[in-house]
Amino acid sequence: MTSAAGPEAVRVEGVSKSFPGVRALKQVDFSLREGEVHGLVGENGAGKSTLIKVLTGAYTADSGRVEIFGEAVDQHGPRAQQRAGVAAIYQELTVVAEMSAASNVFLGRPMRRGPLVRRRAMERRFRELCDRLGVDIQPGARAGDLSVANQQMLEIMRALQADHRILIMDEPTASLGPNERERLYETVGRLKDERAAVIYISHDLDEVLSLCDRVSVMRDGELVSSAEVGAWDKEGLVSAMLGIELRAPPARLGAAAGEELLRVNGVSVPGKLEDISFVLRAGEIFGIAGLVGSGRTELLRALAGTQPGATGTLAMDGRTQALPRTVGRALALGIALAPEDRKGQGLVLSQNGFVNVTMTDMRGLAPGAIVRSGRRKAAAETIARSLAFDPRRLGAPTGTLSGGNQQKLVVAKWLHRRPRVLLMDEPTRGIDVGAKGEMFAVMRRLADEGMAIVMVSSELEEVVDLADRVLVLAKGRQAAILDHDELSLERVLTMTFGVDGEAAA
Amino acid sequence: MSETPHAPAPEARESRAESSARMLRRYGGVAFRTYGIIVAFVILVIVVSIGNPAFLSQGNIFNMLSQWAPAGIMAVGMTYVILTGGFDLSIASGYSLCAVVAAGVGILVDPAYAFMAAIAAGFVVGLLNAVLVVGVNINPFITTVGTGFILGGVTYVVTKNAAFVVPEMAFGDLGAGRWHGFPFSGMLLIAFLLVGGLVLAKTVYGEAIYAVGGNREASRLSGIRVRTVIGSTYVLSGVCMGVAGSLTASQLNSAQANLDPVIIFDVLTIVVVGGTSLAGGFGSMWRTVVGLGIIATISNGFVLLDISVFYQDIIKGSIIVGALALDVLARRVATRSGA
Repeated sequence: MTSAAGPEAVRVEGVSKSFPGVRALKQVDFSLREGEVHGLVGENGAGKSTLIKVLTGAYTADSGRVEIFGEAVDQHGPRAQQRAGVAAIYQELTVVAEMSAASNVFLGRPMRRGPLVRRRAMERRFRELCDRLGVDIQPGARAGDLSVANQQMLEIMRALQADHRILIMDEPTASLGPNERERLYETVGRLKDERAAVIYISHDLDEVLSLCDRVSVMRDGELVSSAEVGAWDKEGLVSAMLGIELRAPPARLGAAAGEELLRVNGVSVPGKLEDISFVLRAGEIFGIAGLVGSGRTELLRALAGTQPGATGTLAMDGRTQALPRTVGRALALGIALAPEDRKGQGLVLSQNGFVNVTMTDMRGLAPGAIVRSGRRKAAAETIARSLAFDPRRLGAPTGTLSGGNQQKLVVAKWLHRRPRVLLMDEPTRGIDVGAKGEMFAVMRRLADEGMAIVMVSSELEEVVDLADRVLVLAKGRQAAILDHDELSLERVLTMTFGVDGEAAA
Repeated sequence: MSETPHAPAPEARESRAESSARMLRRYGGVAFRTYGIIVAFVILVIVVSIGNPAFLSQGNIFNMLSQWAPAGIMAVGMTYVILTGGFDLSIASGYSLCAVVAAGVGILVDPAYAFMAAIAAGFVVGLLNAVLVVGVNINPFITTVGTGFILGGVTYVVTKNAAFVVPEMAFGDLGAGRWHGFPFSGMLLIAFLLVGGLVLAKTVYGEAIYAVGGNREASRLSGIRVRTVIGSTYVLSGVCMGVAGSLTASQLNSAQANLDPVIIFDVLTIVVVGGTSLAGGFGSMWRTVVGLGIIATISNGFVLLDISVFYQDIIKGSIIVGALALDVLARRVATRSGA
């Protein structure tokens, strides 16, 4: 697509923003034109989210100037920015679980006649938006009952419904399946044709390169580079983000031929999973590939003792037994789960790293039930260092850390428990390139030390690159287990779409 | 890049995988969560009316409406407060204060002014709570316990716990007056429940209440004036105290500082037994209506069935805990399959 240089929709000049102890934005200049899709990339903690929060009015800049359609924005807060035509899709889902899908889309701006809400009209408009995005969501459905992907669609619909002229999308595709992604790309293209201005933030660089007209790179709170998309390639973006030449990805060490550690037999979850069996060896990274809803999360949860209704058996060290019914039972077997939802299920965000890391096992740290803070500190610091996590940051509330650092702590807390099998659900979701590389290195090292790692990821490339063997799930059934020399992206991809996809390919 | 997983794919939507058994369990849970409390209410009414048919007589129902009007009206305000995820524990003291204001002013001037003064007093109490909760940002539980103590203390100090008796008989018309046997206080109660319910269900303001209670940050980012919305519910609760205090003072033709300190428990119970979530964001006015019905039926039924007052408390407590336990179980069934 040719880039159309329309008039300026947003101009940011010399904006700085500090939080206690951190300069989140340093003298940032940025501009966005009408009819333009402007990609914004950078590692987590680089300042992207802060910049967009300044644009939406969720934060007030310490200094500098923000103009929207040529008018200086001095009145702040989300309301003022909405009137100016700015809508944002935030990275963290902001649905109201107890309200209906339609009410969520019109949150804060319900269609009204005087003081009355026009529910019928909202439902009609909701269905139109659904058609436009090619999704099928009932307007009356309770938002909390929808899948994460559909909740994400609600966010997108919320931004679209008001026909805003400026749209900010922060990782809109992070939890979407391939179909929904395509629909979103089409929608972005249409918005562009309608002369809207879009800021598009994503860690998926291929997506950014194919979708955007211009790409800006942020690093350590500064906007380091901004150029038309033609001037960029993937390697260029990565080195600009990291500020160094691209590191080589950690090489796969080949299938480690360890001893059999865990044998899983006939795991089923009604309506979700059917008869899954595999063998896990010490020292290997075992990937599970499948689409959203293929049952991959349920499989991990079944092994970790947190999936109601799961049936099947497992054998640890050759002793066959029923699946663990509780987390305590799973841990006693040596199986730990690092969950996908870092903020909701992984960490106690209000507490610091010391507390979070050691909470999985206080034996030895609290003789006589009295916590020895010295021992706790030492234990947490040792693990943090082994994960290349700066131990000085352990004292900070974990809610203030970047996604990559939070993920390291989630892993750290389970390492503290010394599991023999570590289940990792989406270990790299929403974290940046540099942190991903570090996470892969950690996983490989843990495996080399004799642990077995089971990894689920939506990024099939990652699974194929990193795993020694891959179990492919399609619609809750075991499509295949591929050995490392049989692995290829195309093969895994066709299999995840099930038998029909394979026949067509 | 063509090999990235963005290729068009066959349908792989989650809902397809849902088995019908799971759907049944899930929607069964939802239906139970929605209507279970009505079933409990109907059973209770049947049991009591079999025990004593006088329960369903027009006279008894009118009396119940009149008797429960003050608590019921305050439950309307409390429903709003709780839906935003808040609490108003100052209502017992606020209610006594407003009643004393009504009676005290009623001794001096025309009853209409007395009731307006009481409502104004309630408004000020609500505004005080609102400023502390959303202006200063103190936890509402602590704030309203604190203001409750202050208001109660002030009322005692000013009145020295003397009863204010209003000699003017017209003062009693609001609370004790009837139209063809139908008590004015009951009409007022029904009007509050009806209007309060319609505002919640049909208006932009009601929509904002649910949004704020369900997810405060999402609401803020969507441009809802979160603090204004939350603050307004305390003011509304204050106005309800004023109306309730006026009614009681009028019914008794007098008021005193220690009017009814435990009415707070009745009001909270009415709202919560109906199924409105203390966490905020879930609930509705018809639930408060049902909750009021249940509590009134229990209290009135015990008298009609001549059950000892000690058994009353045991049974009342059991019904309250039981209703909440059922609600939790229904939620568990409804959400487990959705997770």
